[in-house]
Amino acid sequence: MKKKLWDPVFGGVVIGISIILTFYVAGRGLGASGALTAFAATIQNILSPSVTQSSQYFSKYFANGANPLDDYLVYLIIGVMIGSFIAGMISKDMKLEVLKGPNISNKGRLWYALAGGILVGYAARMARGCTSGQALVGGAELSVGAWAFMFSIFAGGFAVAYFIRRQWI
Amino acid sequence: MIGPLVKNGIISDGVNTLFAVLIGMLFGYALQRSGFTNSKKIAGAFYMKDVDVPVVMFTAITTASIGLWGLSLLGLIDLGKFYFLPSYLLPMVVGGLIFGVGMAMGGFCPGTSIAAMVTGKIDAMVFVGGFLLGSLLFGDLYPLWDKFYNSGANGVWRIDQLFNINVGFAILLVALLAVFGSLGMRKLQYKFWGKND
Repeated sequence: MKKKLWDPVFGGVVIGISIILTFYVAGRGLGASGALTAFAATIQNILSPSVTQSSQYFSKYFANGANPLDDYLVYLIIGVMIGSFIAGMISKDMKLEVLKGPNISNKGRLWYALAGGILVGYAARMARGCTSGQALVGGAELSVGAWAFMFSIFAGGFAVAYFIRRQWI
Repeated sequence: MIGPLVKNGIISDGVNTLFAVLIGMLFGYALQRSGFTNSKKIAGAFYMKDVDVPVVMFTAITTASIGLWGLSLLGLIDLGKFYFLPSYLLPMVVGGLIFGVGMAMGGFCPGTSIAAMVTGKIDAMVFVGGFLLGSLLFGDLYPLWDKFYNSGANGVWRIDQLFNINVGFAILLVALLAVFGSLGMRKLQYKFWGKND
């Protein structure tokens, strides 16, 4: 049987402590989207260097022989994968599966996941970060932009929730 | 030992990298144990069906805010050596709206999708694939939104500056918002969906 989840307040405190630790040790916040974008840029640079070199945005990633995967956030995300894997093993929540509501097929759910991923991938770059690096870290820094970003996330989610309810409830 | 340790020369870059992995492990462990590898649970926030996601977010922000400020008051960290995120108000609002739509559709945000992917969640793997495409779309077609992306550069702009209040008071407001926001949303969850769902 799966182990019981943490109380959300306890979970929030532990995540808050991990933010404090990155600042105490490295003088910066944590984040998730930066590593994924570095990974995307690296794959594209291998498959099609010319597209990457002509991209005003991605050419900077590789300027002067730089390797975007040699980055603080990439090491952090490797840790996230190890930590979540350990937690999944310990709590016996380790199974190939598609999670969804009862009123949609697996295939339908995966199309939504793909579309949602594309939108989030685009939006995280537009907002210079995601729920981790921008909303949580920026929120803790009292950044006005981060708080505006966070409220906008919930506004966008609530606005569209009704129309896609088939997927979840 | 006064932080940030690496910028104060107390630890090397290599040790800092090791700590990055260790802190990431704590973060990933906490995401999984909070149930954030479950897309249904995350999306539930947008139906007020399961408000754990906003409760965790509120708590994490408040904890980190009080912790960082407290450590600086105790002289244990040097805020002057921090990297603070700059605000670009309009791109962040528009980005947030699109992000929210994508999060409700996809059931994940970037961090949770990575955590969920390694525990076998197929929807998370597909979401990550979509994320890679979406960020390439942004970067490869960058000239289309270059101007908007860089509009309204507000620099480091904090709530205490916006309202012209003391930093400590601003953190107190954040804490109050977190407590009453969490309690209020939990109340709505019970009202709409009952207590045992």
